[in-house]
Amino acid sequence: MLKQLAEWVFQIDFLFVILRITAPILFAALAAVVAEKAAMTNIGLEGTMMLSALFGFLIAYWTQSWFLGVIGAVLVGTLLALMMGFFYLEFKTDIILTGIAVNMLGEGGAIFLLFMFTGLRGNTAILVTPNILIPTINIPLIKDIPFLGKILSGHCILTYVAFLLVWLIWLLLYRTPLGLNIRAVGETPQAASSVGVSVKRIKYIAIAMSGALAGLGGAFMSMYYSQGWNQGMVAGRGFIALAAQAMGRGEPVGAMLTSLLFGTAHGLSSKVAGLPNVSSFLVSMIPYAVTILGLFIYAWNRTRKLKKRGIRRLTGI
Amino acid sequence: MTKRRPKMADTPVVQMLGISKIYPNGIPANQDVNFSVNKGEIHALVGENGAGKSTLMKILFGFEKPTSGIILMDGEEVTFASPMAAIAKGIGMVHQHFMLVPSLTVAENVVLGMAPKKSGMFIDFKEAVRLTEEYAERFHFDVEPNARVADISVGMKQKVEILKALVRGAKVLILDEPTAVLTTQETEELFRQLHELKNQGFTIIFISHKLNEIKELTDRVTIMRRGKAAGTYDTDSISEQEISRLMVGRDVVLELEKTPAEPGEVVLHVENLQFVNEWNKRMLNGISFDVRKGEIVGIAGVEGNGQRELVDILFGLISPEEGSVHVNGVNISDKSQRDLRNMGVSYVPEDRMTFGIAGTASINENIVSDRIASPAFNKGPLLNMKAIRETSQHLIEDYAVLCKSGRQHVNMLSGGNIQKVVVAREFSADPLLIIADQPTRGIDVGATELIRNKLVDLSREGAAVLLVSADLNEVMELSDSLIVLYGGNIVGYFDDGQWDDVMMGEYMLGLKKQSDEEVKRACHA
Amino acid sequence: MLDRRMTQFNILRGAVAIFFALLVAAIFIFLTSESPWESLRYLLIGPLVTVKEGAIAFNMRNMLEVLAGMTPTIFTGLAVCVMFSANQFNLAGEGCVYVGAFVGGLIGVYWNLPPFIHPLVATLVAGLVCSVIMLIPALAKVKLGASEMVTSLMLNFVMLYVSMHFLNFYFADRSRGATMTHSFHDTARVVQIVPGTSKLSWGFIAALIFSVIIWFFMYRTRWGYSIRMIGINESFALYSGMNVAGMIVVSQMIGGMLSGMGGSFEILGRYNQFLWLNLPGYGWTGVTIAILAKNNPAAVPLAAFFLAYLNKGCMLMSTKTHVASEMIDIIQAAIFLFFAAEQFLSGYRQKLVVKTAREELLKQGNAGIENGGAENA
Repeated sequence: MLKQLAEWVFQIDFLFVILRITAPILFAALAAVVAEKAAMTNIGLEGTMMLSALFGFLIAYWTQSWFLGVIGAVLVGTLLALMMGFFYLEFKTDIILTGIAVNMLGEGGAIFLLFMFTGLRGNTAILVTPNILIPTINIPLIKDIPFLGKILSGHCILTYVAFLLVWLIWLLLYRTPLGLNIRAVGETPQAASSVGVSVKRIKYIAIAMSGALAGLGGAFMSMYYSQGWNQGMVAGRGFIALAAQAMGRGEPVGAMLTSLLFGTAHGLSSKVAGLPNVSSFLVSMIPYAVTILGLFIYAWNRTRKLKKRGIRRLTGI
Repeated sequence: MTKRRPKMADTPVVQMLGISKIYPNGIPANQDVNFSVNKGEIHALVGENGAGKSTLMKILFGFEKPTSGIILMDGEEVTFASPMAAIAKGIGMVHQHFMLVPSLTVAENVVLGMAPKKSGMFIDFKEAVRLTEEYAERFHFDVEPNARVADISVGMKQKVEILKALVRGAKVLILDEPTAVLTTQETEELFRQLHELKNQGFTIIFISHKLNEIKELTDRVTIMRRGKAAGTYDTDSISEQEISRLMVGRDVVLELEKTPAEPGEVVLHVENLQFVNEWNKRMLNGISFDVRKGEIVGIAGVEGNGQRELVDILFGLISPEEGSVHVNGVNISDKSQRDLRNMGVSYVPEDRMTFGIAGTASINENIVSDRIASPAFNKGPLLNMKAIRETSQHLIEDYAVLCKSGRQHVNMLSGGNIQKVVVAREFSADPLLIIADQPTRGIDVGATELIRNKLVDLSREGAAVLLVSADLNEVMELSDSLIVLYGGNIVGYFDDGQWDDVMMGEYMLGLKKQSDEEVKRACHA
Repeated sequence: MLDRRMTQFNILRGAVAIFFALLVAAIFIFLTSESPWESLRYLLIGPLVTVKEGAIAFNMRNMLEVLAGMTPTIFTGLAVCVMFSANQFNLAGEGCVYVGAFVGGLIGVYWNLPPFIHPLVATLVAGLVCSVIMLIPALAKVKLGASEMVTSLMLNFVMLYVSMHFLNFYFADRSRGATMTHSFHDTARVVQIVPGTSKLSWGFIAALIFSVIIWFFMYRTRWGYSIRMIGINESFALYSGMNVAGMIVVSQMIGGMLSGMGGSFEILGRYNQFLWLNLPGYGWTGVTIAILAKNNPAAVPLAAFFLAYLNKGCMLMSTKTHVASEMIDIIQAAIFLFFAAEQFLSGYRQKLVVKTAREELLKQGNAGIENGGAENA
């Protein structure tokens, strides 16, 4: 069994699939990274992805343009995030609770809105046309490299965008004044405000970017991955992204690595599901169980280091 | 009052005239204060904790608005709505708690909020480093622009703070107790740099408790006492003893009825405590003393001389590097707060809002929090609400807590009444040992008097009391014997009741020190 | 004075929050419905009365269905109350409802017990299983410092898929077209209060009883007291000598137990077999209820009634006027946002505080003149 798994992991088509499966988790994980850098836990990623997936798809359908659909998804994600920011920053609603509210909107609200706009219930399968699916592209030169070419070329445009964004987000956080401000606001808000950086403004910007990234994740899901919007589509990826953020130490590259880990778990589970005598349900559980396990190992490691430094924690925990 | 020798070169750069500040809770922090600083001088601002120095400087830096009074800069009236406005006028402040982002580099911290850009959107790190280096060189600051702030020493952090102010064009620098966190060598270096800055025409306001430093460094000194300016002097025209007398001079004397103590056996035995804080500063340097049944042992000292660490060790919040604490003969090194309570230790915390109360719970709930599991308050699985109410009512009356009823949320009370709730709980626990940490800080006269009287009564009924207070009046008035902490050492032990504020001031400020033999008398075992 | 004004203010703020939420709903109704006024009528008063040819009659059946709909959500609401009171953002109530229903259902199918005892045992075992499951996020929190929130979110999916696995491979009734267990024993059914089609079972009464029990637990026992103090100020709780880590674990176990019991009562009271193939959403509704009830167990039934009423209203609106019933989630989200907003109407609150402070200063001022000498001594 283990040998079998190892064989799969190094198969070309499997590695190709992993990149595809990782992309939406990566979008959401980057969204979590940006928000968390500004000291906000964006638990609303799940709902944000659901709604932006829906509207991305619908806009693509109405305009018959996948590109406008993606733009629409990003806009919807941004607007939802700004709404969260508004309640969190102006009305001091707990950021976790605003996130849960967005998830409720994503759960039933999406179904309601789909029905409102199209009269359809639960999924959009019948609306799918090739125009509104995000195209895949072959990269010249790279596609001709043996082995690697088959893994890296022929992906959907957004898959490339996802991995490109790891670099771009890193650039933003570590090479621009805005990124500097975001990190300062998240870490020591009083230091930032003492030199005239508006904590509120920076937090608005960070949560908006988080929403935009989740919007891309949503677009990827409905306009490529699932080929249409349906009810259970996001399936906890927004939550997994929070775990990926934590285990990746809140850094873009770390989040990418943990996203790849969860992507691999996902990929393996769908591979294993094809075998006879294997319960598809237990297999579906794997990504979530792996996430829990990963979180525990990460937390255990961190606690051990704190103890080594002799810090007697107040909670007695 | 002022004994200034007017010089032709004296041009005031900052003048604060008739400044009064009354906080929303009614506490007057400044009363008609006049404060004037000349261009190019180092001006010391001294006073006890709570004398109003910080408030005055917060007003100058735009953190607080004065209730009345005006600020002049170079003779022109200015108003500072925010720190940014003060910075724009050339005022820079180095806070005691650094305003730095630990994960950023020195250069990044220096340019935060004003980062230089290249090609439109990216930070020009080279320029940031160049800027930092330029200023560092100009003022002979030895800082590494690319080091992460989290990795550098406290002395270095302070330099970064000063650089931040200078880069933003500060001409007047306020330093809030800058040496409190520094080692001796770092302090010397800081002084060299401040002299350098002075020579280059900068004006420095230096807040400190340490008289030797003030004598060494500053040109003039303004002394504050109880919210008022007690005078401005040329530093070399006034002795340390005089400054000390002006700082701690008493104007309110609360007379306290106190019978002589009859100490019994040792309850708290502290032996050779050593503690080094996370910035490698030695905060406790071999402290040993005993507290016996029936006596109040006071710990006097300017804040930051090891009191905080001592109390935290006694209540199990941090572990000492070396040494031990015994309560009734039991070593408490691995005891939880719960165990300590069961051993009969009561604790009045300095930070009452964090440790003393649950703000949105009722007075009744707060007043029994340490004994909620006791049989007296439980009937089977249920709480005996009647017993809790009655106990609470009794304590509310006994401690004169001003409230509508025991059901009122505790955070609706005034500071003094909140402290009464905390004290009522701690004192009524039938304690063997009471550790009272700043028990009357920031509360009104009535509550203060009540708490002090209760403390004396408890000790006379047989409790061992350790009183830690930055309020010199309080420790002198209440203590049966007195320990003075300075720089993590016990520099004085007094058990004859023959002390006065002048003498205390000299020990607290490090001017005098007893011999080891005299200090050893603090241990009775 | 201030206390009373604050209570009044809080009630007012709650009312305004609900009004805003319904306003949002109304906007959507006007956007989607062909007969918006009729839709609105069904939403707001549909569950209560029927309008027939101008005559208004109390609608008993709808009302009973509203009450029946409260059973699981009272339990999950109580669960969230207990956990949130300890400041534990554990969101695994959702999965626990599912597992509780599954376990309760299996006991209903496979064990042989006398009537009345049977559903009680099933429900208690379901609660026990779920409280043990909650040890995972709770212990990870206190021993490792892992966020209970992320763990519990993942745990929801794990619980769903593990239950589905057992349902499909071991307990499915192969004679049926859809995946479901065999039928429950008659002895396992939670008996209806009003015979008929309303499905209002004694589970509802049990839910009310548990609201009282949990209220007593939270406000009249030392454990509940500790839980609340930990939630308000953990440092204070520790300083007072409470067993903070232990109570954090206990609060989450109780949360699991209540959620599991809710699931079991629901399945044995309203269904003949266990046939849920997805998470039912009651856990999330429980969060809304706890927010509405401000974590007070005594207010949970009222909050649950309010949501069940709106839910029924949405259903009626959906069947009669074709506005999708998922409108309820939009209303819930809006309630959530406004209700949990600390600074919502804060300007008005500040005015009240200032006004009261002025009045009291005036009073004290008068008193101060009388004993002013003592103050200044």
